[in-house]
Order: sequence, then structure tokens, then C-alpha cells
Amino acid sequence: MVATAPSVQPSSGETTRARPRGRWAGPIYSIAPTLVLVALFLGPMVILLYYSFQKASLAGAGGWTFDNYTSILTDPTYAKVMLTTIVICTISMLIMLAIGLPLAYILAMRTPPRFELLLLLMLVIAEELNPLIRIYAWRMILGRGGVINWTLQTIGLIDEPIDSLLFSSTAVIIVLSTTYISFTTIPIYAALKAVDPDLLEAADDLGASFFTTCRKILLPLAAPGIFVAIILVYIPLFSEFAAPALVGGTSGYMIGNAIQEAILESGNRGVGSAMSFMLLVLSGAVAWIGYRMAKIRRLQATS
Amino acid sequence: MSTSSTSLDPPAETGKRHGSFVVGGREGRARAASIVRWTFLVVVVIVLYGPLLILALFSFNDSIVIALPFKGFTLEWYREALQNPLVRESLKNSLAVALVVTPVALILGTMAAFATTRFRYRGRGGVAGLAAGPLIVPWLILAVGALLFFSKLKVPLNLRTIAVMHIVVAFPLVAAIVTARLVRFDHRLEEAARDLGATNREVLRYITLPHLVPALAAAGILAFSYSFNNFVISFFVGGFELTFPIWVFSTLRHAQNVPIVNAISTLVSLAQLLIVYVAWRLWRRRSRKMTANDDPMDMLW
Repeated sequence: MVATAPSVQPSSGETTRARPRGRWAGPIYSIAPTLVLVALFLGPMVILLYYSFQKASLAGAGGWTFDNYTSILTDPTYAKVMLTTIVICTISMLIMLAIGLPLAYILAMRTPPRFELLLLLMLVIAEELNPLIRIYAWRMILGRGGVINWTLQTIGLIDEPIDSLLFSSTAVIIVLSTTYISFTTIPIYAALKAVDPDLLEAADDLGASFFTTCRKILLPLAAPGIFVAIILVYIPLFSEFAAPALVGGTSGYMIGNAIQEAILESGNRGVGSAMSFMLLVLSGAVAWIGYRMAKIRRLQATS
Repeated sequence: MSTSSTSLDPPAETGKRHGSFVVGGREGRARAASIVRWTFLVVVVIVLYGPLLILALFSFNDSIVIALPFKGFTLEWYREALQNPLVRESLKNSLAVALVVTPVALILGTMAAFATTRFRYRGRGGVAGLAAGPLIVPWLILAVGALLFFSKLKVPLNLRTIAVMHIVVAFPLVAAIVTARLVRFDHRLEEAARDLGATNREVLRYITLPHLVPALAAAGILAFSYSFNNFVISFFVGGFELTFPIWVFSTLRHAQNVPIVNAISTLVSLAQLLIVYVAWRLWRRRSRKMTANDDPMDMLW
């Protein structure tokens, strides 16, 4: 496995020059990426932490303080925004899992190979397209003169267009839960693809119903994929701000909007970076819980 | 293989294909389940692509107001969109940034992948963990941090800061994809090449790189679209520069729906589809050639 062992002698003298395989090859390869990350990833993170403990002032930083955090934690406005964010993200994530799990199962186990490839490609391409364009497209469906209102009016179900479809938390949930379907489905698909079909046959032979098979075999084996899907989707959802800004109105105002407003509009760097940092800690906690759960599930499945 | 797709039908292990459906012993139930599955797939495809189709339809609608019913067919919005100086500038900026970001991200990402998979040394875990950071930390948080970082260092915000931060988020993705490919690589191939007298450069050129080409191509497309589609990071660290997503956002933020956004979005989406399609065709041709002829020279292109 380890390629560093110089097990093969070079056949001619000239090849000994500049062979990046010795003790230093790994560190040499890693220098440039590490420097970039330390300067431009860790750097911003440290600055974020620094500003979150600084008093707000026009000059930028005005001495150490804990006020930014206390003002966020005690202000009921922020608590409400946080609650909205958690509710929107969680509902969207559940919807995506409700779509992604069966979709991954069908793709991995129940689709003829030709269609499997085509559908996977469609999922990937949907992901490639610009998310802002997708948000905008939903405005045309949910809006006052949009497709849904027009259809309902034409059928005669409603007399006046429903305004609350757009610019509401519902709109944000609809947009978000259709934006990340690919990211939810593909990791679960990958996990299920690795499942030995014999396992399912064995369960079947032993008289297990479809739901028992799902619960005892498919779900535990899909758990690592679900964990990856949660990392990839649930965490970014919390910092979403384009979708709530474009379709959210006031009831869909999320923590990302609050951060954007604090930093870019009111210039309150202290509160903005404190919120960002708390969001970062929350993301870390979600990732850790997801990781633990995936691990426990897997242990149960193998024991 | 048909076993994987039929094994769940109760006694349908012997199931035979009927068109695209699998028909087993308990034919009625299997058919019902199959119909449910296909309906589900169709609904998912409609949800994913329906909105974009509607967006494209409205780009041809002869009315400044975006609402049903359709008023007639026009190409006016395309003409206006393509003549709009802000649209042109934003597309030019986005393309320029993505064209810089993609090669740099490919190089840095491949280096990181080699550094974390091919060698053992102290601090390797640290490098791997660091490279996973930008994949896990939400972009908004990184964007806010970068904005404060640049303003603290008095770095002017422009397309350069946008490109730099796009590289920071794109190359760990490249690294992850290339790592996945490298891990599955049989090192004995390289050893064999060396036994046969290949130089280091020849091994890299004829063995390692050809093996990585699909991963690099996929990573390249992803890095490009990461950069081209990125809104949050550009929005925070771009100062007053306009990229395409920023233009879309600011146009829609304070306005009702605008037909020229439909027109240009349709064009951009079609271009993106075309890129993926061409890449797909190239990949198909290459993999067909590879099975026909195992000469590593052919495997490269």
C-alpha cells in the first residue's frame, strides 16, 4: 500500500534525480495547499473569532468584550430568527430525506442500468445549474400571477390569487427542499449501491416484509450515506441567505439574512461575527451528532 | 446486473424483463410497485426541471409582466439581455474568475490529494483535516470571515479576492474527488512500470495521470461550476464587482420578475448543459476506446 518504500531500484543512473518519493515528498506536495488553507481559511476563521469578542466601533475594533454574545443570546428577536431557521432547515431536510431515500433506493436497486445512468446524470446536472436561477424559477410558479395561482383561478377553486404562497417561510421551504435533492440522494445512493443484494434476498427468504427489510437492513446500511447527506445539506441550509432573501419575506427571515444585514448593511461586525461563530459551532455540533449516529447505527447493524 | 434490480421482488428472483419493467411471479403486485416507482421518478424529474422549463417558456413571452396566460412569442428579451452592458460585464467577470479558479484548484487539489494519500509523514492527518475544512464550514461563514480578514489587512475587494476565495472552496473539492480515485488505484501498476524501466516522469505521464483523467475532468467541471455559480462568497468579498449570480440577485432583490433575467438564465443554463453533455460524450468515447484497446497512450485522450 505505502508507495514510499523504494522497493525498486532505478534501472539507470539518470532517474535518481528529482524523485519526489523520499521522506520529504509528502510534505513538499502539501506545502502549497497547506499555506493557502492556513492563510485564507484559518486566517478568516481566526479573524471572525477575534471580531466576535471586540466592541463595535467605527474604526473596526474597540477592545475585548463579551457583549456581542450576550446581546445575541438575550435578545428575543435573535431567538425568534434562530427558531425560524431551525424549523425551516429541519422541515426542508426531512422533505429531502423523504424524497432522497426512496429515490436512492429505486436508483440503486430497482432501475434498469440504462435509466439508472440517465437519472443519475439528470440529478448531477440539476446540481450544476445555477441555484439563483432555480430560486427565481420558483417565483414564477408561486407568485401572484404565477402558475399555481393562475391554475387555481382558471379552475375556479379560488377567486383572488393567494399572496402568501410567495414571500413566506413556506416558499423558502419549497425552494430549499428542491435545491439540494441531488446532494441528499447521491451519498445515500452510493451507500446503498454497496449493499450486497444477497442480504435482501436472504431477508426475503426468511419471510421479512418489505418494511422489516427497510428497517433492519437498508436503513442501517444507508446510515453512512445519510450522515454524509446531512453534512452536505443540513449544515449549509443553516447559512442559506439567497433563497430567504428572494422568496422569504418576513416570515422566512433566517439567521443568514441577519448575519448579512449585520455585516453588510448596519456594519455591526461584532454581532455579525458572533452570530457567524455561533452558527459555526452549531454546524460542528450537527456534524458531530450525525457522525456519532451513523457510527452507532453501523455497529448495531453488524452486531 | 439484473440480480441487483430484481432481488427485492418477493419470489421474483427468476424475474424476467418486460420492456423496462420487471415482471415477477406475483405479477400484479410487482407491476403495481413498478408503476409507483416510475410515477415517483417522473414526479422528481418534474420537480427538478419543471421550474426551469417554465422559466425558459416565460423568456419567449411577449409581455413585460411575467404572468399567465402567454401573450405571444418574442425573441425581444434575448436581444435586450445580450445588449445589456451589466449582463455582459457580469458574464465576462464570472467566466474570467472561473477560468482562473479551475486550473489553480485542479493543481492545488491534486497536490493535496497526493500529499494525503501517497505518503506517510508527521502532520499528514492535519493536512487532510485542514483540506476538509472548507467543505464543512458553511460558505456564508467563510465569506464573512474573509470579508473581515481582507478589510483588516486593507486588501481591496475586487475580482481577485473573489477568485482567491473561490479557489479556497473549490480545491478541497478537487482534492476529495482525486483522493477517492487515488485510493482505488493499484500501485502495482506503477511498480510494474518502474520494473520495466520507466522513468518517474514516464510513470506519471503514462500510468498515474491517465488513471486520474476521469476524476480530474469531473473535478474540473465541478470546480468551474462552483466558481461560476457561487453567489455568497462573491457577494461578500467582491466589493462593487459584478458577477453573474450577483447581477441576478440584485436585479431580483428589489424588482418584480424581469423577462431579461429569464432570457439570460435560459442561455446560461443551456450553456452549462452543453458543457456537461460534451464532457459526457468525450468520457463515453474514451471509455469505449479503453475497452477496445488497452494501450495507455489511448487512455490519456
